[in-house]
Amino acid sequence: MDFSIRAANVDDCKDIARMIMELAEYEKVSDHVKVTQKGASCSSSDSRLSPGTSDADLEQDGFSKNPFFHGIIAEVPEQHKTKEGHTKIGYALYFYAYSSWSGRAIYMEDLYVMPEFRGKGVGKALMSKVAQLGLAAGCHQLNFAVLDWNKPSMDFYLSQGCFDITDTMGYHCLRCEGEALKHLAQL
Amino acid sequence: MSEYEELAKYEEMEHQVTLTEKELLEDGFGDTPFYHCIITEIQGQNSSEDPKVVGFAMYYFTYDPWVGKQLYLEEFYVMDEYRGLGIGSGILRHLSNLAMKTRCTGMMFVVAENNEPSVQFYKRRGAEDLSQEEGWRLFRFDKDSLVKMAAPSEE
Repeated sequence: MDFSIRAANVDDCKDIARMIMELAEYEKVSDHVKVTQKGASCSSSDSRLSPGTSDADLEQDGFSKNPFFHGIIAEVPEQHKTKEGHTKIGYALYFYAYSSWSGRAIYMEDLYVMPEFRGKGVGKALMSKVAQLGLAAGCHQLNFAVLDWNKPSMDFYLSQGCFDITDTMGYHCLRCEGEALKHLAQL
Repeated sequence: MSEYEELAKYEEMEHQVTLTEKELLEDGFGDTPFYHCIITEIQGQNSSEDPKVVGFAMYYFTYDPWVGKQLYLEEFYVMDEYRGLGIGSGILRHLSNLAMKTRCTGMMFVVAENNEPSVQFYKRRGAEDLSQEEGWRLFRFDKDSLVKMAAPSEE
């Protein structure tokens, strides 16, 4: 199947927002997330976040002078578009990070391919592009997170040569947000 | 570098520190900083003495497409003999303030599950263990695997 990988630009935000929602559905949390190209808000039932106070503005945060993330898009030619008319069928979001032990790192925040285009090398190509970009920037590692029940993804990643540092080193991700963060700032 | 070495020893991973002082300088204080650092100093007994660095934190900004900017705490350390004095809390307070000022919705970090004192320190302050509660596992490709993955496909 013919597809191309390229850097995302501000005009891709609509499709990125759409695919972020699709990824959220895959991760089974779509009832907690509402993403638009201009903003995202969490209508979370666990009250960690209140609507309107935690917007992710893709256009501002990814495509202004000081971006907090970068994106790459997988596109198919017109003749392979989905029945809804989409030619942008996969994406990856990444940013640069740092390891105090080994230096520059690249962190892949999202990797997604629409269901009907899976198994054709698109995910591998997106990840390969992130790896290339990371190496070009002098990075020594590519890090990302996977949900423990997501066996298809875990199998795919392990087959590409990565390792599970939660398993081998016992590393857990922690987050302090909302009221806890406010409280911490006042201590 | 000595504080890194001390922290690495604490985590029993000192053989894994390959980052050099030169890289640290370039990556933190060059044209495109990959990280930011704050330090805690104490004044010596004599005013003529140089202040002594007793703690530091290394952080950078990350992104969660659902909720936006996050402040990521990469490294956080207070020298052994200066613990229990509120220095760690002070560093966290400073960083939380900074997170709020820069419109981050959260502060994130990684802790080794066997590091009980640190896990408790953070949980007491309201941090949630996303690995435990939501099932997130951290994965890594090291340099060799990165090079293999970046190579053009034979397909």
